[in-house]
Amino acid sequence: MSTIQEYLTADHRSCDELFASMEEAASTSLQAAKEITKKFIDASERHFQMEERVMFAEFEQKTGMTQGPTAMMRHEHEQMRGLMKQLLDAIEEENKDRFFGTTETLMILLQQHNMKEEQMLYTMAQQHLSAESDRIVQMMDSMIVE
Amino acid sequence: MELAGLSTDQAPPISAPLRFFLTAPLFAILAGFLILLSESSTLFSRYSIESIAITHAITIGFLGFVMLGALMQMLPVLAGVKIYKVKIITLYSHIALVFGVVFMVYGLYFSSPFINLLAAIFLIFGFLILLIPMLIALRDVDNFSPTVKAINTSLIFATISILIGGYLLFGYSSGTITHIHLIVADIHSVWAIFGFVGILIIGVAFQVIPMFYVAPRFKPFCKRRVVHIISAGLLVWAFLNIFYPEYEYIAKTWISLFFFAFASAVWVKLNNRRRPTSDVTVWYWRTSCIFMSIGFFAWMFNSYLDDEYIVIISIIIGGGFILSIMIGMLYKIVPFLVWFHLNAKGYMNIPTMNEMTNKKILIVQFVLYLLSILGFIFSYFYPDILVYSALSFILSMVLLEYNIIKPVLVYVKIIKTKPDFDMSAFNMDV
Repeated sequence: MSTIQEYLTADHRSCDELFASMEEAASTSLQAAKEITKKFIDASERHFQMEERVMFAEFEQKTGMTQGPTAMMRHEHEQMRGLMKQLLDAIEEENKDRFFGTTETLMILLQQHNMKEEQMLYTMAQQHLSAESDRIVQMMDSMIVE
Repeated sequence: MELAGLSTDQAPPISAPLRFFLTAPLFAILAGFLILLSESSTLFSRYSIESIAITHAITIGFLGFVMLGALMQMLPVLAGVKIYKVKIITLYSHIALVFGVVFMVYGLYFSSPFINLLAAIFLIFGFLILLIPMLIALRDVDNFSPTVKAINTSLIFATISILIGGYLLFGYSSGTITHIHLIVADIHSVWAIFGFVGILIIGVAFQVIPMFYVAPRFKPFCKRRVVHIISAGLLVWAFLNIFYPEYEYIAKTWISLFFFAFASAVWVKLNNRRRPTSDVTVWYWRTSCIFMSIGFFAWMFNSYLDDEYIVIISIIIGGGFILSIMIGMLYKIVPFLVWFHLNAKGYMNIPTMNEMTNKKILIVQFVLYLLSILGFIFSYFYPDILVYSALSFILSMVLLEYNIIKPVLVYVKIIKTKPDFDMSAFNMDV
């Protein structure tokens, strides 16, 4: 079984793939991109919840750090949720400029967020939670999105 | 493990990088005017006072400022490091470097030993006050990724190059320029450009190209070894340059081939990127790859031509390869910082990154920049076009300044209004 770090990092990459497919479809027409945009948002939401409801919660319990890095990551998830909603609004308004302006911002926010998680937080989580790694990955894998 | 980069109160305030970014084009404009007022024959002599002054207005004033601004922003994200008292040291460093570059240009043009001495002191102080805390902070990093390793190596080359540069400038202040100075000047320029800037660009590209363009990743061998290989090449080159100059071409070939391989890798990865958007920043990356490949081959073969074309090669590498990447990066980073800091302060109605800049003006800026660099290169053979190239360069840098000030004005305007949400709990500095 993959470690927490491997599992979540691989999930980042599969969200990136969906992001690229979404932009590809949107360059033809925004209506054509509607489905894939929803798919990307759902996949991202699932990733956020796997972290917030499972991994972050375990990490916070183990380390006692509730106002530290996980609070910041939760805050950035909220920023991204806001931008994802704007993507759907842009599709409804048929506003391509706004759509691609938003994807540009979202992409940078997403990647600098991912870098911080992959470079630091996941490494630290893996160190603290190595004994429970399999159980946590299993919980994330079987989680139902709320 | 240091987790400083994961909280906004530890990340640098927006003023820290912007201070450096907004000043950089002003020095490029200054360099443009100095070129406009110079004879082409003087400029194409590497050791003329005018060439040295103009080169440093660009290398320190533009490239140095952009890199320092970017490093402050990237280190917390890429390495999770906290730079000691970042707000205050960026302020002091910025002031010292602005005075340092202005004094250096003035001191060299007007042959003033005292002003040159002041320039050396200000420049060494301005650089080291930032570089030393960065190097110290990097020592605590646990997860030493290839990018962090490259940044660390690059900062070591930077520190040595700056100290050597200071020594050379002291030489101008005391009027003692000897044969040793010329050898040392070679090491200073090659280590600064290839060691400091080149290795930094390679390290950042490992991370940025696959992530931001959803492009294939760099091969593990490339990520793990290329920085070591180039660093070893630079050390061997310095040794050969001092003791066996007739063999220095071996090390030059070594270094050039690996930079060429890197340029080709970036080109191929951009071709295979998953994101379809092709904006001006992609054009800048591509332009940079072309100039990087031509520049390094030219540098390699120049050894066989008694270094006759060194100034053209410097224009290709410094102006074509490095400047392109820096400008492209500014177009991404400045609008993003504005969005990010406003959003973190609770503002929700922020223009998108694309709405903060005018796409047409970005393209005009790119075309003028490209024409100016090509013009500078060909003015070696056709001196009459130097004036037009300088004018094109000045105009492109004025537009660059406009393009990056525009998002900052958006920030200034919005920050005066009331935020949509109270985010004071996150306590971010402005």
